[in-house]
Amino acid sequence: MIGLLKSMRTTLTTTMRRPVTTQYPEVHRPIPERERAFPLLLWDERVVEPFCTGCQACERACPVDCMTVTMRDNPKFKAGESKRRKIVDTFWIDYGRCMRCNICIEVCNFDAIAMNNTWSGHELSVYDRQELVMDLDELLAKSYAGEVQAWVPQA
Amino acid sequence: MSYLLLGTIFDVPARWLDAIVRVGLITLWMTLLVLALTYIERKVIGRIQQRLGPTRTGPAGLFQPVADALKLLTKEDLRPRLADRWVFELAPYLVFVPVFLGFVALPYAHDWGIRFFDLGLFYILAVTSVNIVGWVMAGWGSDNKYALLGGVRAVAQMISYEIPLLLAALSIVMVSNTLDLRAIVEQQHRIPNILIQPLPAFIFLIAMLAETNRNPFDIPVAESEVVGGVTVEYSGIRWSFFQLTEYSALFIFAVLGSALFLGGYQWPAGGRIPGAFQPWYGLLITGIKAGMIIVAMIWLRATLPRMRVDQLMSFAWKVLIPLSFVQVFVTGLILVYSPWGWGLWLGLTSGALLAALFYAVKVGAQRLGMRRPREERLEAVRQLTAGRGV
Amino acid sequence: MTTIDQEFETVSIDINMGPQHPSTHGVFRMVLSIDGELVVDVEPVIGYMHRGGEKLSENLDYRQGIGIQDRTDYLGNFNCEHCYVMAAEKLAGIVPTERAEYMRVICTEMNRVASHLMFMGAFGTDVGVFGTMFTYAFRDREDIQRFFEELTGERIMYNYFRVGGVAWEPQIGFDAKLTALIKRLRQGIADIDSMLTTNEVFVSRCKGVGLISAEKAIEYGLTGPMLRASGVKYDLRKDEPYSIYDRFDFDIPIGEHGDCFDRYAVRLEEMRQSLRIVEQALEQMPKTGPLMPEKMPRMLRIPASECYMRTENPRGEYGIYLVSKGGNKPYRLKMRSPSFSNLMALREMTIGEYIADAVIILGSTDIVLCEVDR
Repeated sequence: MIGLLKSMRTTLTTTMRRPVTTQYPEVHRPIPERERAFPLLLWDERVVEPFCTGCQACERACPVDCMTVTMRDNPKFKAGESKRRKIVDTFWIDYGRCMRCNICIEVCNFDAIAMNNTWSGHELSVYDRQELVMDLDELLAKSYAGEVQAWVPQA
Repeated sequence: MSYLLLGTIFDVPARWLDAIVRVGLITLWMTLLVLALTYIERKVIGRIQQRLGPTRTGPAGLFQPVADALKLLTKEDLRPRLADRWVFELAPYLVFVPVFLGFVALPYAHDWGIRFFDLGLFYILAVTSVNIVGWVMAGWGSDNKYALLGGVRAVAQMISYEIPLLLAALSIVMVSNTLDLRAIVEQQHRIPNILIQPLPAFIFLIAMLAETNRNPFDIPVAESEVVGGVTVEYSGIRWSFFQLTEYSALFIFAVLGSALFLGGYQWPAGGRIPGAFQPWYGLLITGIKAGMIIVAMIWLRATLPRMRVDQLMSFAWKVLIPLSFVQVFVTGLILVYSPWGWGLWLGLTSGALLAALFYAVKVGAQRLGMRRPREERLEAVRQLTAGRGV
Repeated sequence: MTTIDQEFETVSIDINMGPQHPSTHGVFRMVLSIDGELVVDVEPVIGYMHRGGEKLSENLDYRQGIGIQDRTDYLGNFNCEHCYVMAAEKLAGIVPTERAEYMRVICTEMNRVASHLMFMGAFGTDVGVFGTMFTYAFRDREDIQRFFEELTGERIMYNYFRVGGVAWEPQIGFDAKLTALIKRLRQGIADIDSMLTTNEVFVSRCKGVGLISAEKAIEYGLTGPMLRASGVKYDLRKDEPYSIYDRFDFDIPIGEHGDCFDRYAVRLEEMRQSLRIVEQALEQMPKTGPLMPEKMPRMLRIPASECYMRTENPRGEYGIYLVSKGGNKPYRLKMRSPSFSNLMALREMTIGEYIADAVIILGSTDIVLCEVDR
């Protein structure tokens, strides 16, 4: 009986404590800067083009083959506006396949890809899986709008 | 005979009309009650678990039970193809109706109640125990092994705990010398029965938990073992009958317990309130007492693990029933032979027996819940599987 | 001795517990043969969760393969990663940096606490507490996961260890946050302790249930808390110290009888010991220094060789047998998962108990089906 009373005391004390619930859709708890939601491409505002040169390093390093990248000659290089000889032509990432391992960010030589560390990277529910295949515009949109501050791992 | 509630408010002349109105009244009251109780339970358990409980529907989630009820009403009423049709479909009603009938005799205040019987206590206890039949039918009719197991468990448990429940009530009846609930309550205007008979009060609480299938006695509906027991195949409205029954029974036993042991609408100071306020005072105080019992049960539910079937049976047959028999016997002896008045003596002896109960629980827990030794169980298994080479 | 009444022919019925039963901890099926409440026979059915992790690892290089380890045991992710990177380091002859070793120990031990908290929650639910244990345990586990999220960016699938060290620097305020977290965890463990350990109903449910003797436990190849609950003092962190575990002072809790209660008590004490290790590690850890050794190759290639590496995971001894034939991918990777071996003793423990006991015995083995089926 003593043990039962002891457990009842424990439940009573926790009743007095503050609930730990976060009321999710209204309250988004702050997520850390390193949050790894899904990979995004970054936008170089200085030259007005993506950082990505389409070198396919991330595509080769991806453990789950969720990326498809192609490159093309950069017209701005010829015009002398950009130092990038090649530029990304198309870029698809299948968010339904990605396992958010962060390897693509580590292998990127141009810091052109980053993990979305905002809530928008998590709230991605869709009705059709095809909608989770992101193309170049969608991947760049967040960075273009300045909504993502990329965190680059230092090791 | 004035049954204030309807007799004087609406002054219904015809007796059949009167009956219909009363039944309607119970139905309404019961539905509202169950809605309120489910909400309260979820909120209280939420707070115990450092959660918030329902918050989404309406202010502070107040309409959550309504939303649940609507959902249940609109769900498809499924029946397994091989289920025994009539047994399966009638079972929820057989579980529900006895508890519904139990509402008839509850005393909320001196003349607030649906009906008052001279044998009110007897009536309630007799009627509410009928629903065991419904549990058996639901278990058998579902064509599901989990349901069958749950049904068998439910019957074993309810029959076993019926006895200590009755014996606990019996010792109160002996003290009060009546079966009329109002008379029992009004005798307690100075001292509530719990002080005179603490052991029956405790046994009543335990048996009440077992009768309503709540922790630590939720064995028939154990989620982690038999996945809901008899309710496993029910959906929609039929399932909600089981839910309705559980919470209504909870309320019946809470009001009954407050009437039998806590002095119902009378203690404290019931007699000294001016006449006009007396019913309101009675209602308030009954509500508070019943509410306390219900909150205690919810608290227990959030705290205690589930007992095992054999522990449950041993506890009933080896501890509770002998002790309550002893209590009845001792109470009788003191009532008949004590030359110095009986209140104090009853309280002392019953308290001593309560201590014995605590001691039994302590020893029992140390003796591994009084189960058969493992060798014996293994031997039984060996005999059963002799021809199968297991 | 009980005699069965022969006048009636009684037939034991088989019930399928799982794969969608609430208390089978994942997609696991027990075919229970029962006579009344007595379990006459039990047959575990596994394989619903098989994803071919071993085969997949053969196609992934040594950095990509860490992701598979995360997904092997989803409660002890860091522990599995640790085993994998140590196996690769052993073959490649890489010595991880000092600071990275401490980071790894802190991460694995915190992960052990998180895993045991998960056990406490699930076990409480199995025993029949209406969710309270579960929320207590998850409240604290969530704390750990948020800490890991700040460190690695992910709540569960960390992918943080690398061959040679760890991937990146700890977050700002790592020490202070960890110290505060340990303090909260101690409170949480005290909650669980006071809630269950002396509770009569809990004690009578768990004591003497699911007995397995030390000899039987060794025969079945049980490891981890399951083995220690039977009274065998065997813990790889002490008996075969890997990484830097020989630098810490901690105790190995053991049980007496090998019943469910002992398994619970051993895990409860292990959480406290893990927190002790973390505190010591935090104290000893160099504040600055490299996390990866210098001159790490861009793509790790391992010469033809093989090794077996084992670590003490929350569930027991986790082993990786790694074969390389040169090149940047393993030729063969075999995982020895503790849950699988522990699960095999289920029959021994369950026969002759009641249905309600079968549930808590399964709960007390603390299986992770991802790890059983791999």
